[in-house]
Amino acid sequence: MENNHPEKDYILSVLAENRAGVLLRISGLFSRRCYNIKSIVAAQTADASRSEILIVVTGDDRIIKQVKRQLEKLVDIVQVTVLDWENSVVREHILLKVARTKENSEALVSIANTFHAGVLSATDTSMLVELTGDPRTLDSFVELYQPYGIQKILRTGTMAVEA
Amino acid sequence: MQLNGSDIIMECLLEQGVDTVFGYPGGAVLNIYDALYKYSDKIRHIETAHEQGAAHAADGYARATGRVGVCIATSGPGATNLVTGIATAYMDSVPVVAITGNVTRNLLGLDSFQEVDITGVTMPITKHNYIVKDVNQLADTIREAFRLANEGRKGPVLVDIPKDISAQMCEYTPKKPDAPKVFPLPQEFRFEKALELLQKAERPFLYTGGGVISSGASEEVAQLAEKLDAPVASSLMCQGGFDQANPRYMGMLGMHGTKTAALALQNCDLFVAVGTRFSDRVTCNADLFAQHCPVIQIDIDPAEFNKNIEVDVKLKGDAKAIVAELLRRLPQKENWEWMNRIHQWQKKYPLVQQPGREGTVTPQQVLETLDRLTDGKAILATEVGQHQMWAAQFYRFRSPRQFISSGGLGTMGFGLGAALGAQVGLPEKQVVNIAGDGSFHMNCNELSTLSKYGIPVIELVFNNQVLGMVRQWQKLFYGGRFSQTTLEKKTNYEMLAEAFGVKAMTISSPEEVEPVLKAALETQGPVLINCHIDPDCNVLPMVPAGASAEDPILEM
Repeated sequence: MENNHPEKDYILSVLAENRAGVLLRISGLFSRRCYNIKSIVAAQTADASRSEILIVVTGDDRIIKQVKRQLEKLVDIVQVTVLDWENSVVREHILLKVARTKENSEALVSIANTFHAGVLSATDTSMLVELTGDPRTLDSFVELYQPYGIQKILRTGTMAVEA
Repeated sequence: MQLNGSDIIMECLLEQGVDTVFGYPGGAVLNIYDALYKYSDKIRHIETAHEQGAAHAADGYARATGRVGVCIATSGPGATNLVTGIATAYMDSVPVVAITGNVTRNLLGLDSFQEVDITGVTMPITKHNYIVKDVNQLADTIREAFRLANEGRKGPVLVDIPKDISAQMCEYTPKKPDAPKVFPLPQEFRFEKALELLQKAERPFLYTGGGVISSGASEEVAQLAEKLDAPVASSLMCQGGFDQANPRYMGMLGMHGTKTAALALQNCDLFVAVGTRFSDRVTCNADLFAQHCPVIQIDIDPAEFNKNIEVDVKLKGDAKAIVAELLRRLPQKENWEWMNRIHQWQKKYPLVQQPGREGTVTPQQVLETLDRLTDGKAILATEVGQHQMWAAQFYRFRSPRQFISSGGLGTMGFGLGAALGAQVGLPEKQVVNIAGDGSFHMNCNELSTLSKYGIPVIELVFNNQVLGMVRQWQKLFYGGRFSQTTLEKKTNYEMLAEAFGVKAMTISSPEEVEPVLKAALETQGPVLINCHIDPDCNVLPMVPAGASAEDPILEM
């Protein structure tokens, strides 16, 4: 089928029964139908029998509708919502280890301060910082540390909730 | 009352009205087979030659009777042998419940003898699957499996039961199955849009798919064709879902559809699809399919909307109820000019098969003779390949559940198991499995099941010594390099059939077709007919890969 729709990132909030294999069923569906998962986060909800899975999918409007309808067919899935970026609070968490020297130490701390990021630890050769924020802020954060030599990045998937 | 897990399984099967299961015993299902022994006066167990045969038999039983088919296999290889059968049922939305044994719970995950993670394996090919780790959930899991298999878009469900669960005692309380779920009708604005298009159309095309049969909507669809004054084409999955003796019937649409259906597609001003998913075998080049006219799609699975082609009006729900509602609100239409054109095309482009060589038997002759001798009322199962297309083209199916064929997965080796399942479900019907000599070698072991139980299926093998469908593609697109499609098997079909305890007959010339078919139909018990045909009989028309469904080639 011709594809005239622009691609972008969508966040799906999937409410599922908290049963063994649910994540496998979801990720299996994505892989066999060739949908692209950009990130996936699963967490128990206030109701322990349910879990909420947040999936960032790259695609066009048509693909997202397909993804949603296919997900809704999985027996363990209760509800699928495509979140509205504009009206959602979107958060990721990052742990970043950057190379530290006597000369750059101050600059590293100053970047952290600009973002209200936490400095978790520092050694003679590295500094570990953490930040929670929307994905774009995290991208800039990483960007600013790039010149100093990033040793490791751990970034969670995207969590989001409609405000 | 306190029962062990296996007795609970039996009781749950009885709750669901199951009286026949297909399967094969083994270590992990010893308890279940012990219960089958005990319940043998209430549940008939057909033991196939191979678990794959059992899965296909459950599938064929379901397709022929409309009830859920049940198959049972042991853990490990027993379970994996079901896989092709389960995938076949999944692709064609056939309600099957597969019950597998597994090793005891304390041996799970330890690579124990005959252990396989069958729920992991079958996740992509079942509607849902379960492993039961608590005997208290066993009964409800089986009930849920039956409900899921038969609800909405039907399909297979697998229940995996560790051996200790099938032995454990537990309180069992009988429960009647819930009433089937009633699906709501689509929203009013969608109906209005559909009715507007239907009323405006002067050249409507009604296209029916397997959903018409699963929803039991044949009668309503036939009335819709009258009211719309429209011609009808059916997918492979809907053979018999619309009466093929009706002059409105144009044949199949798509890769091996008729020229009339292709011309109607090209010239129609509205395409109405009922219970069909626009498979690539139908749309051929999806980008070129029905681009010039609006499309209305009726389907119970909303994931089928805009999946393969974009549609203009989506009517989600049960086809029977939706078509009934359309009938209620639609005035009688007259499109005599359009119908005249259709009838002219039908006259101009009949399906005629050229014999490969003069004086050889054509499948058309065989199938049309079979149609005449059985009054169009036989149930035809098929394997996959040329013979499958010929069966769809040349037997005139009059009613639903008469044609049992693996459409989506295209499983060679499906037919004989499916045919025996259909025959066990409908003992009063004449069941014929149309096979090719290639497919025959994939499942001929099930001849032993036919003879063991005296299941009177006719196994009709179109024997051309080649894998005809692949060879046909090699002829067209691979310069006639017949890589591995010339079978040159030394099999003596007649002796093999007799060795399995099945009576054998042979057709070698056109004069033998009628007397041999007659003799086979009059025979009590199973018969194999070895029917020699020419290797260069092709399936035509044919839409080459990438071409439009509107442009089939008629000769090659």
